[in-house]
Amino acid sequence: MFDRIRRSLAHRRRTDDGASDGPDERGEDGQSDGLRADGGTVTESDSVPLATRLRRSQFLESLPFWGPPGLLVLLFVYGAIGWNFVISLTGWEGLGQPDYTELSAEAYTTLLTDASFIAAFRNTIVLLLVFTVLSLIVGLVLAILVDRKIRFENTFRTIYLLPMSLSFVVTAIFWSWMYNPRIGLINESIRGVVGVLDGVVFWTTVEAGFLTQAWLDDPRFKLAAIIFALMWQFSGYCMVVYLAGLRAIPTSQYEAARIDGASAVRLYRRVIIPQLRASTMSAAVVLMVFALKAFDFLFVLFGVNPGSSADILAVMMYRVAFDRLQWAYGSAVAMVLFAMALSVIGPYLYLQYRRGEL
Amino acid sequence: MTETPSRDTVDRVTRRRYIAGAGAVATVAVAGCSDDPEVGEDDGAGDDDGAGDDGTGNGGDADEGDLEIVHWWTAGGEEEAYNALLDGFREQHPDVEIVDNPAPGGAGSAIDTVIQNRVLDQNPPSTFQIWPGQALTPYTDEGLLEDIGDSVWDDEMREAYLDDIVELSRPGGDLVAVPINIHRLNNLFYNVDVLESADVDATDIDDPQGLMDALQAVDENTDAVPMAHQTQAPWSTLQLFEAVFLGQQGTDDYLSLVDGDVEGLEDEVREALELLAEYADYYPEDAGSISWDQGNDRLIEGEAAFLHQGDWAAGQYEGADGFEFGEDWEMVPFPGTDGVYHSVIDSFVFPTNNPSPEATEQFLNYAGTVDAQERFNPIKGSIPPRTDVPNDEFGPFLTRQIEDFDNSNTQPPTIAHGTAVAPAVQSELEEAFANFNDNRNVDTAYEAIRDAF
Repeated sequence: MFDRIRRSLAHRRRTDDGASDGPDERGEDGQSDGLRADGGTVTESDSVPLATRLRRSQFLESLPFWGPPGLLVLLFVYGAIGWNFVISLTGWEGLGQPDYTELSAEAYTTLLTDASFIAAFRNTIVLLLVFTVLSLIVGLVLAILVDRKIRFENTFRTIYLLPMSLSFVVTAIFWSWMYNPRIGLINESIRGVVGVLDGVVFWTTVEAGFLTQAWLDDPRFKLAAIIFALMWQFSGYCMVVYLAGLRAIPTSQYEAARIDGASAVRLYRRVIIPQLRASTMSAAVVLMVFALKAFDFLFVLFGVNPGSSADILAVMMYRVAFDRLQWAYGSAVAMVLFAMALSVIGPYLYLQYRRGEL
Repeated sequence: MTETPSRDTVDRVTRRRYIAGAGAVATVAVAGCSDDPEVGEDDGAGDDDGAGDDGTGNGGDADEGDLEIVHWWTAGGEEEAYNALLDGFREQHPDVEIVDNPAPGGAGSAIDTVIQNRVLDQNPPSTFQIWPGQALTPYTDEGLLEDIGDSVWDDEMREAYLDDIVELSRPGGDLVAVPINIHRLNNLFYNVDVLESADVDATDIDDPQGLMDALQAVDENTDAVPMAHQTQAPWSTLQLFEAVFLGQQGTDDYLSLVDGDVEGLEDEVREALELLAEYADYYPEDAGSISWDQGNDRLIEGEAAFLHQGDWAAGQYEGADGFEFGEDWEMVPFPGTDGVYHSVIDSFVFPTNNPSPEATEQFLNYAGTVDAQERFNPIKGSIPPRTDVPNDEFGPFLTRQIEDFDNSNTQPPTIAHGTAVAPAVQSELEEAFANFNDNRNVDTAYEAIRDAF
C-alpha cells in the first residue's frame, strides 16, 4: 500500500519538476539543443545537489510521522521479545541480576522432559482448537438465526454479545458458582429436570447423581467445563462477525438460489457459508489468540495451580516465573507461547497479504 | 489553485489539534499512573504527593524518609490488628510518616510479585511482611536484607524469643527478620454438637488413622460433612499432608523430610499420602469450588464436623453469633501432634537500598516489643512470639494456645506457609498437591514430592 502511494507521489513530483523546469529551458532558447543531447531532465536530477535531494526525499519527509511510533514499537514490543528470548538463555533465577555471559538453550531442553509442560502444552492445544471450533459453530448458528429478520433482533444481538463485554474475572467467578456441585445452577437444574421426570413417568431407576458432577474438581470435566464457559463468553463475538459477513451477501443470491429450487440447508451449505470464509478467518484468529491468553479465567478459578488436567502454558509461565523465581524457565515458556501465537497469526497475515487486503 | 492552500491550512489545523489532543491525553494518562490511589486512601498518614516522587527514582510511593509498609493484612480482623499495631507505633514515634501500601491476596500470593519486582528494580519499600525461614532465602542469597542482629535484636529481645523462632529469623546466618505473630497450624477444629450426635470423642483420637475412624463414624451417624476441607487451592491439602506426616512420624522425620531426604522416607511419605487419599472421601462434594472459610461456615452451621486449619479459622467462630468456644466449637491438636506447635509466622524485614533506614529501624524495634505484640496479636487471633507478653488481652482460646506454645516440645516450620522450604520448592509441592487433589494418585504424588526437593 505504501509502495503504491509512494509511486504515485513520485510520479506527481516528476511532472511538477517538468513544469517548473519548463520556463527556464524556454528562457535559454539558444542552447536548448545541447541540453536535449544530455538526456533531458533525467540526467539533470542526478546532478541536483545532495541537500536538495535530501530535502525532497520522501523517506526523510515522512520520517517524523512514522519514525517515533515505529521506534517505540520496535523498542517496547520487539525489543522486549528479544530481551525475553535472551533471558530464556541465561538460566536466571532468584532475585539477583541475570548473567548474560553464559548463554545456553538448557531451559528449552528441560521443557521437553517436563511433565507439567507437556500437560500444559497439550491442554493449550486442546483449548485452542476445541474452543475456537465450538465458538465458531455456535456463533454461525446464532448469526443465521438472528439474520432471519426476526423481531427484537437488536435485543437478541445485545443479549448474545453482552458476555463478551464482561471481564474474565467476573465470568470466572460467575461460572464457579454455576458449576458448584452442591448449590450451583447447573447441577440444580439437572436435579430439577430429573426430579420432574421421576414425578411424571415414574422413572425412578435413573438417579440425578449420575448426571450431576463436580464439574470443576473432576479432572475428566475440568477442561471441558472451562471450554464451555469460554465458549459462552465468545460465541456472541463470532455471531457479530458472521452477521456482518451475512449482511454483505446480496439478497439476490438468496433469491437466485431459491428460484433454482435449493433447500434452505443447501442454500447455506453451497452458497452462503462458502462466502463467509473471510469472517471465519478473522474470527478464528481472534479466538485463538484469546485462547492462548485465557490466563485470567484459570487464574481466578484455580490460582497458579490448576492441576495437570487444566493447566495451560500462560498459567505455567506465571507460576514458574513469579512463584518460583525461575525467570529463565518462565521466559522459555513465554517464547513457546509466542511461537504459538505467531503460528496462528503468521499464516493469516500472509494470506491477507496475498489477497492484497493488507 | 486558490482553494488548495486554504484547505491545507484547515487540514493542518485539525491535525495539529489532534496531536495536541493526543498529547493532552497522554499527559493525563501519565499523571494517572503516577498518582497512587493507595496513598490517597491512607488514613491521614500520607501527604498525597505521589506524583512528585517520580523524579527521585527511589521513592516509589513514598517520600524519602517516610515509612512505607507493604503487607497483605486487608481482611476484616487482620486490618484492625494491623491498624492497632500502627497506632502503637505512632504513639512512640509521632514524627514518622507511615505510608500504608497493602498488596492484598490470599496468603501473600500478590505481595510476592509486588515485592520481587520492586526489589529487582532496586526500589524496595521500607519494610514488608514476609514469612521468615526459607521463604527469606531468595532475598538473603542475594544479600538484599540488612543484618539487624545488632541494631534490632538486642539481648533482651533474643531472651524473650524461643530458640526455634530466632533460628527462623536467620536463614542465611545473619538475623534479618522480626517475627511478630505465630499461628498454630496443627489444629483440628470441630463442631461439638455434630460430634456428640455422631458419638465421637475428639480427645480420644490418638493418631491420624484414628481420625479416619472418626470421619467414618460422622459419615454413618449424621448428615454432616465429616471434614470441611477445600481443594480449590492446593495449600490446604499440603498443610494437611504436613499434619498427617507429623502425626504419623513425629517432628524429627518431618524435619529430615523438609531438609530434602524424601527417598530415605519413601515409605513414610507414601503412608501419609495413602491416608490423605482416604480422607478425601469425606470432604464436601463441592470441596473444589469453595474457599477454606466457606468450608468453615458449614462447620459453624453444624453441617460439617471437623476442620484442619491454622488457628486463623477461630477468628471466624468469634465473629459468628451464638457460637461459643467450648460449648459449640472446640479444638484439639491434630491427632498424633500433641506437644507440637506447628508454626506459621509473619515477620518484617529490613531491605537494603532502604528509602528510610532510620524509620525502618524504629519500626522493627517496635515490632519486637511487648507493646506491639500485645496490641497486634489478640485482634489478629495469633499468639505473640515473645514469651513474656501478658495474657490479659487474649481470649480463652488464645490463652490456651499460648500455654500450649510455652509448653510445646517442638515448633517445626511449615511447608505450605513458607518457613520450611524455599519458595521454588514450595511452589512445586503445591503443584504436586494440586494434581493429588485431582487424581489422588500416590505414586505420581510421591515422585513429584521427591523431584521437588
